[in-house]
Amino acid sequence: MSVSNLLSNWSEFRHTHPVDDVPHDPYKWAMAVDLDACTGCNACSIACYAENNLPVVGKEKYSHGHVMHWIRVERYWDEDGREFPDQGAQFLPMMCQQCEAAPCETVCPVGATNHTPDGLNSQIYNRCIGSRYCSANCPFKVRYFNWYDYPTTDDVWPAEMTQQLNPDVSVRGKGVMEKCTFCVQRLTVVKGNAKSEGRIVREGEVQTACQQACPTGAISFGNIVDPESRVHKQWQAQQVELAKDVQAKDTGEVASDLRGYRILEELRAYPSVMYLERVRELAPAKSEHHSA
Amino acid sequence: MHRFLRLSVLLMGLFVASSYAADAPSARMTEDSLGPEVAQPIEFPHFRHAGDVNKEHPEKGGMQIDCMYCHTFARRSAVAGIPPLQKCIGCHQSIESVKETPRIKQLFEYWEGSKEKNIAAKTPIPWKKVHDLPDFVRFNHERHIQRFVFQQNRPVQEACGYCHGDVKTMTVARRSKTLSMGFCAGCHEKDHLVSAEGGKDAGNQAYWYGFTKPVVKTSGALTAKGPNDCWQCHK
Amino acid sequence: MMGSSFDRRDFLKVLGWGGAAVALSGCGNTSVEDGKETVVSYSEPTDYMIPSIGVYYNSTCAQCDAGCNINGRVREGRVLKLEGNPDSAINRGKLCGLGQAGVQHHYNPDRIREPLLRSGDKGEAITWEKAYALIAEKLQGVDGEEIAFVTGGMSGHSKVLLENYLLSFGCKNHFVYEAVAPAVVRAANEKSYGVTMPRLSINKAKLVLSFGADFLGSWISPVHFSQQYGQFRKGVDGQRGILVQVESKMTLTGANADRWLVVRPGTEGVLALGLINALGTASGDAAAAAQGYDKERVSKDTGVSVEQIDKLVELLKSHTPSLVLAGSAAEGYVHGSQNAAAINLLNHVLGNVGKTIEPAASVPFPQMSPAVGGTAALTKLGEGLSAGKFKVLFNYAANPVFTAPASMKLKDELTKVGFKIAFAHYLDETALQADLVLPLDSALEDWGTSVPEYMAGDAQISVQQPLMEKLYANTRGFGDILLVLLKQRQSDNYKDYADYYAYLRGAMLQNKNALGGEGADDDTFWNHSLSSGILKAAGSSAALSGSASAAGLTLPAPAAADAQYPLHFIPGVSASHRDGRHANQPWLQESPDPLTTIVWDSWVEIHPKKAAELGIVEGDIVEVTSKSGSIKAQAYLFPGIHPDAVSVPLGQGHEAMGRYAKGIGANPFAILDAVFDKETGELAMHETRVKISKTGQRVVVVKDEGPAGGSQAGKKIAARLDANHVDLSKEA
Repeated sequence: MSVSNLLSNWSEFRHTHPVDDVPHDPYKWAMAVDLDACTGCNACSIACYAENNLPVVGKEKYSHGHVMHWIRVERYWDEDGREFPDQGAQFLPMMCQQCEAAPCETVCPVGATNHTPDGLNSQIYNRCIGSRYCSANCPFKVRYFNWYDYPTTDDVWPAEMTQQLNPDVSVRGKGVMEKCTFCVQRLTVVKGNAKSEGRIVREGEVQTACQQACPTGAISFGNIVDPESRVHKQWQAQQVELAKDVQAKDTGEVASDLRGYRILEELRAYPSVMYLERVRELAPAKSEHHSA
Repeated sequence: MHRFLRLSVLLMGLFVASSYAADAPSARMTEDSLGPEVAQPIEFPHFRHAGDVNKEHPEKGGMQIDCMYCHTFARRSAVAGIPPLQKCIGCHQSIESVKETPRIKQLFEYWEGSKEKNIAAKTPIPWKKVHDLPDFVRFNHERHIQRFVFQQNRPVQEACGYCHGDVKTMTVARRSKTLSMGFCAGCHEKDHLVSAEGGKDAGNQAYWYGFTKPVVKTSGALTAKGPNDCWQCHK
Repeated sequence: MMGSSFDRRDFLKVLGWGGAAVALSGCGNTSVEDGKETVVSYSEPTDYMIPSIGVYYNSTCAQCDAGCNINGRVREGRVLKLEGNPDSAINRGKLCGLGQAGVQHHYNPDRIREPLLRSGDKGEAITWEKAYALIAEKLQGVDGEEIAFVTGGMSGHSKVLLENYLLSFGCKNHFVYEAVAPAVVRAANEKSYGVTMPRLSINKAKLVLSFGADFLGSWISPVHFSQQYGQFRKGVDGQRGILVQVESKMTLTGANADRWLVVRPGTEGVLALGLINALGTASGDAAAAAQGYDKERVSKDTGVSVEQIDKLVELLKSHTPSLVLAGSAAEGYVHGSQNAAAINLLNHVLGNVGKTIEPAASVPFPQMSPAVGGTAALTKLGEGLSAGKFKVLFNYAANPVFTAPASMKLKDELTKVGFKIAFAHYLDETALQADLVLPLDSALEDWGTSVPEYMAGDAQISVQQPLMEKLYANTRGFGDILLVLLKQRQSDNYKDYADYYAYLRGAMLQNKNALGGEGADDDTFWNHSLSSGILKAAGSSAALSGSASAAGLTLPAPAAADAQYPLHFIPGVSASHRDGRHANQPWLQESPDPLTTIVWDSWVEIHPKKAAELGIVEGDIVEVTSKSGSIKAQAYLFPGIHPDAVSVPLGQGHEAMGRYAKGIGANPFAILDAVFDKETGELAMHETRVKISKTGQRVVVVKDEGPAGGSQAGKKIAARLDANHVDLSKEA
């Protein structure tokens, strides 16, 4: 695109992700993660390593915060003052939330991260200059920077292991930012197939690597525009609307018994990932409660 | 104060000027750009296979073989594929007239093996890559062939030729377009027809990859802009 | 997907070329190299092999004994990724992290590539001919009793060949040794239900009461159970299943429980009897066994409050059917069998037997069914070794030098064996003691069959097939090696089989009628077997014994305090590391432990109260000392552990094996006391007592608690609802 094109359409570019005007047509990829089913087993994370050529950085770099897991499982101990046995851990698989109004996009000085028509937040490695503004501005801290040239770092990919690399995904070099792509390489393939057949991608035709691995089926992924998709049905049943920063169900006086929520929704980033609250059978009341 | 303003006006002027310059039709995008001559293990004569029939001097002309007869993966895979050795042999074992020519003898050395040259039987020919893209670019042959050849009924050689040039006149292929991002964008920024002319219906959703919805032109043609989603090619 | 009929061997030859020459478009940086890079095609194409398009082959996961059916993505002759086979009753298209890391086992840079013969401290590469000749020579004139064959759990045709091989010597010394296995539970199940491995239906239960069974992490068939757990949480008739976990150290399953009851280590059985007593529905034997286990006493012994016992009884009464599981935390004591029996008795009392505990199908070929073991084999092996009984010892799929308690001095005892042969992928601790090391093919380049011990659905035999051409010319499949060894013994019986593949094919075709191939011609049946990777066998299932016998069930009083070694030592079993055989797979090292989020190291879990008492803070290097030895590791303050216990995860602390495993962390096997369960002779893994002391050093714990350090900072991040506020049946 030329500069004058950019200038003349400036407002449009700054507001590419039309939360309020045109709905995505025909695709808007979205996810729902059921925390009640998530057991924190990390299968998703390792599947992502396998699919997306993530480097294993080793202990020292890990200690510097250089780990590259695009999807991580966060563990939280309950914080409502309860003790065991009503205490427990909660697990939260955290990946790029593919925000509709992504805070990372607006701060990139070179336009290396921007929105696709499918509602994904794309990261273009060959355009990235490594300013890391995007990471600083990401409320979810899901962007990972290549501090080293991992392909040439010892023991990251010894010659034998390079044979495992997925040729559909670039191996990133030093100085670029990377993050979860919703397995865009898989999306492109099915979209291409569908287009050749003159149809749109059907529900179930594509899975992300994390979704595919998840032993409990906690992750669902699909085209939220497609009313047949499970993701669409889940979002609708939970009354979570993509384009709102306060959901109607949360404004009522009575607490909703619907489990769907988006993390840090109040920041108006409009994430494309909905989480479903963990459910827990709890002791009747705190006063009657004794710890072991 | 005013001096300060002057500077910004100047800068602004430069900026606007440069953007007009950038807007001018860029030569880069259309110009042929010859790649290096690449020595191949066998000097494969594309013109003999794909070239037009020469009625006066049949020995100088070609046989108009469809590109996809040999580059068979192009319509169903991201890569077009170098023809398997078996494909060459499949025809050439029954073409007696050229069997003793140097190139065909060389070909059979790969198939049957050659002790002198230390080649095992059925060794794939180590062709050199002629059209190489940077590793972060993913071109998809299938989509282009499906669109131009199967949905719009364009001749195969024309469709392939958009990027590969006039291979049917070449001996070994040589890159003849820049294959740069500007080259790709040169096509993709243009409006293109959404409904097919004379071919199969391209489907009313051919604009899916575009930012913009199709526009109905005064001529009645339905056009859209091509993909300008970075992730289409870079991922 | 896979073509219906083709010659697989030719296919692999072609792949070899493609695989060797493929341009790795995914790697390297950015340059455009017209005319430099070679682009190589297949010399003979096959129509299902299209460059840039992945082809999927079914096989069987060999990373643990659950035997999940997998689906490997192959592109241009290289296997890239393992996924679950959707048609599998075990894992239904899903696969855990450990299973996925199978590709890193296959491509591991530290795999052994040549047969190695000991020459002093070094291994000298020799040819296979020489290796085979050497084995024949060493076995010359050796009596069957003087041969020992140590293996991990085995099943399928390689087990058949091994049994035949041992039979040819009249050798009965097949030690099936699994360092981490539910061996006591198997024995208890046999007594309680009449079968060692009944089929468990978590998804049919409305309440699961698990005594330390980490079924979401590492217990028996975790992917299968996780998948059931997903359904269990959605609930039968919209009633969400409730999970109660009883244990002394929180496992992954415990962390997901609605109610996590911490018990004094070793008193799991007491609580089970207490519940039987409190339920008051038992009669006969069971009631008699539970007599005297009133709530107050049970609460005092176990440390579980009376209120919690009441609540649990209430839940058990209102949620039927339920399912009670006895897991590794309950079985790891001198009275482990009694604990497990008491827990199983609870299932009888609750009427779960026949509802959520059902007979499992079994394959009609007993010779192929799994040979399972535990640590009991160690005692016998140790006795034989110290008596100097064995002249030749074979070791396969086990690493006893690493996993046996150091107090058994197995490494020293091994020196008494005349000639030791290790089948190995890596030069691990045991292979390093061997005189001859035979390099094995990885599970992704080898043929095989297996029968899962835990049969999730209909009786099945899983097929393992090469997903790609071998990486190294001089590795061999275990089956191929066995076949050569068998030919040395009985050449007439095996002369028809050129290799293990031929044997496998022949054996399967012989039984094709029983494997659902009736009427099909040989090739069709064989191709079908390979393309599906699962063969359903017309299986039978034994009925469960319905009797709730509690005869001989006595539980000891809770262990007395030990002044010198005041703390219970609980070896942690993680889903990724298990007994340590996967430590050289970097994805597993880099994947945080789910509960502590620690990577690339060992740690000592200490309850914050205990830590405060001892003046220990996170990162202090502490020494954990038992009667049998001591190890040092960083301290991690962990709320999910009994204050009188500490825990160190198993699997780290390798002194050999490879670049990703060596020198990482500490090995808790080293300090286990050699005490055994009274009935089964299994190592009582949780019986060791320890003391801990600070060394004065402190490190920064390398962990991944998230950007906010594991705190939600008052935001709604990982949110939670009370179960009575939500109706899951309405959800999409």
